[in-house]
Order: sequence, then structure tokens, then C-alpha cells
Amino acid sequence: MRWVIAGVGGVLALVVLTMSGAQAASPEDELPEGEGKKILLMSCTSCHDLSEVTKFRGYYDRKQWRDIVVTMMEYGAPVDERQVDVLADYLTQHLGRQ
Amino acid sequence: MIAAVLIRRILWAVIIVLAITTAGAAQVRIVQTNSQGDNIHLIDPATNQIVGEVKGVPINHGAAALPDGSRFFFSSEAEQTLHVVDGKTLQTTKKIPLTGRPNNISISKDGARVYVGIVSAPGAVDVIDTKTLERVKSIPMKGGIHNVYVTPDGKYVVAGSIAGRLMTVVDQKTDEPVWGLFEEGVRPMAFEVNPDGSTKRIFVQLSNVHGFAVVDFHQRKEVGRILLPDDVPAEKVDKGPFNASPSHGIGVAPDGKSLWVTSRPNARVYTYSLPDLKLLPNPVDLGGRPDWVTFTPDSTRIYITTENTDLVHAIDVTSRKEVAQIKVGKSPKRNITAVLR
Repeated sequence: MRWVIAGVGGVLALVVLTMSGAQAASPEDELPEGEGKKILLMSCTSCHDLSEVTKFRGYYDRKQWRDIVVTMMEYGAPVDERQVDVLADYLTQHLGRQ
Repeated sequence: MIAAVLIRRILWAVIIVLAITTAGAAQVRIVQTNSQGDNIHLIDPATNQIVGEVKGVPINHGAAALPDGSRFFFSSEAEQTLHVVDGKTLQTTKKIPLTGRPNNISISKDGARVYVGIVSAPGAVDVIDTKTLERVKSIPMKGGIHNVYVTPDGKYVVAGSIAGRLMTVVDQKTDEPVWGLFEEGVRPMAFEVNPDGSTKRIFVQLSNVHGFAVVDFHQRKEVGRILLPDDVPAEKVDKGPFNASPSHGIGVAPDGKSLWVTSRPNARVYTYSLPDLKLLPNPVDLGGRPDWVTFTPDSTRIYITTENTDLVHAIDVTSRKEVAQIKVGKSPKRNITAVLR
């Protein structure tokens, strides 16, 4: 009987761990750390969810990512001129077209 | 003589029967884009069921249809193209390259041209000939274009820029800007017409405004601003973020009797009577962040997207009651009504 209870408990624990792991896989967690990520989180997510950025994963080259950054600056995103290329490089490296 | 009259009557009867049969064959579809997906859904408003799906349009934004529904057009932000889709097979038949990243699109009243808002700096409206399926022009704009409309009489193209903080009215015949307004980010718009079909007023949603501005088209100026009610308990108000657009989604019913305006923080749609702009009771709770609205041609139903719940809400216009929820793709936003003849 104890073996059965332990077995069921183990399966439940596995399910809970799996579910918590699935919840943790947000767009933010999927992105590697770096200066670009700090700028991204600070300047973009105050206006919209990160998924509005990560939805372009795999589609854009650097020129196109830079275009998005510049457009968002025009919309009022708090990104200064020195951060533009840092952010464009980060987005190209981690979300850019391969 | 009698035979001639008889033949004429029979011919008229045949014509009338044919006209009724043809009219009966027209089908209405709610065309629903999915802004974080690569598919678009077609909803039959008679059943509120999905009856068709267009695939392979990544990060689709704007939608338009020819007046007879034989072709659809969808802008793809990911590919920076305009997809031309056959109305029957729902397959892409051509991808037209654009001058930059597109946002919303609109089609001329005669179906001859599609106008594509280009949000990439410095901003433009790309013009597509729907016969040759080529880009024939790019109209320079001050600032990237988010939404673009053709006025109901077909005489003007109206482009809204968030970055340029400007609404630009373009003459549809000459493609030349004729007047502009605002020093605020311009978001969705809706058009009210005069009895002769000309544009009377434009209702304009603006950046960081929980409501809308009223623009007198003839006077070319803002004549009023209406804020949406603060009628939801504080603990139930959604804190966002809302892309700096707390009120996004606005439409005048085709019969011209009501204006419908959505609220993201309140997760509701409010109705105003026209032309007096009186707030009507019983706002409809949507349970999510609304983005866009479209009506059935007979003005009996409005279809509203809530982008964070992946739903389209079908609402009865007269009773202001929700009659159906339709689960669609990821982050549904823009929608249009198409008539397939």
C-alpha cells in the first residue's frame, strides 16, 4: 500500500513540476540575459506584452529589427540613441532570421 | 399584341427570379485576422461558426475584400508583403512586396485599389492596383501609418499616424494630401455620413485617450471629445499594458444609428446613439481587451475581438446582449465584413 501511495505521490509531483516548468517558459524567460534584454524589458513592456516582440522571431534581419526599434522610439519608447544599436543587435542575435 | 405583352411579362418574371436567386446566393463572412499567428478565420454570422481558414500569412495585420468577395487581401508584417488570396480556394495567389512594414489596409469603394499603411519610417501609404496586382504608387506621409481608411463615399483616403501625431486626408483621385489634423497619436477611426453619402463626421481614437474625438469633416476641425464612463469598480479595472491605446476599436453601424466604442481597461463596449452621441445604457462586458469591431451589413450584429482571450464576441445590436463567443487564432485583432456574391 505504501508503495502505491509513494508511486501516486511521485506521479503527482512530476505533473506539478512539469506544469510549473511550462508556466515558467514565458517569452521573457526564453530570452538570454544581456544588456539588450535589460533595455527590452525596461523600454518595451511598459506599453505592451513581450509577445508583441517575440512574435517576429525568425522573420527579421538586423535592418528590419532596427526599423522596429526606431518606430517604437517614435511611438514614445524610452530608448536613447546609444541603446538603439545594442537593442537591434540583441534582437537580431536572439530573434533574428537565421 | 397580346403575345408581345405576355412575352414581356414572362421576361420580367425571369429577370426578377434571377435577381432574387442571385441576391439569395450572397453570403456574409466575418473575416478575422490573428495578429500573432499565420492564419485568418472566416466566420459565418448566420451560425457563428468558423467556415473557412486562410493559412500561411505570418503576423497578419490588415484585411480587405473585393466588393464581390472574389479576392481577399491581407498584409503580413513578417514578410512585409500584401497577400492576394482567392475568395473560393482561400489560397494565396500572389505576394506583393511593400516598401516597408505594413499595418492596416483598406480598399477603394470600386475595389480598384488597396491602400496599405506603411509604419516603417518615414511612413507612407502604398497603393496597389487590384487588376494588375502591382504596387503603383507610394504616397509619402509624415510619420509611419497605423490605420488607413477609405471614406464611405470613396472620395478620400484617411491615414492615421501615431509617430507623426497626425491624421492626413488624401484626395482619392489625385493621391495628394489635402488636409490634416491633430498633434496626438492617431488610432482607429469611424465614419458617419450625410444623407447624400458624403462624410459628415469622423470619430477618432487617440493615444492615451480613453474615449474619442469628434471631427467635423466639412469644417476640418475637432468639435468635441467624449471620454468613456468610469463605471467599473477599481478592483476590476484592467491595468494593462494597452499599447498606449486604452480605447481601441470603434465603429458606426451601417444603418448609421449607433456608434460603438470599446474600452480596454473596462473590458467593455459602449454604445452611443447617432447623431446625438447620447450614451445608451447596458454596456456589454467582454471579459478581455478589445481591439477591433465590424458589423453585419444589416446592422443586426457587431463582432468584437478581444486579443488577450483569442475570442470574437457576437453581439446583438438592438438588445446589446452577447449571443456567441467564437474561439479563433492567436491574438485576434483587425476584422472586416465581406460579402461573397
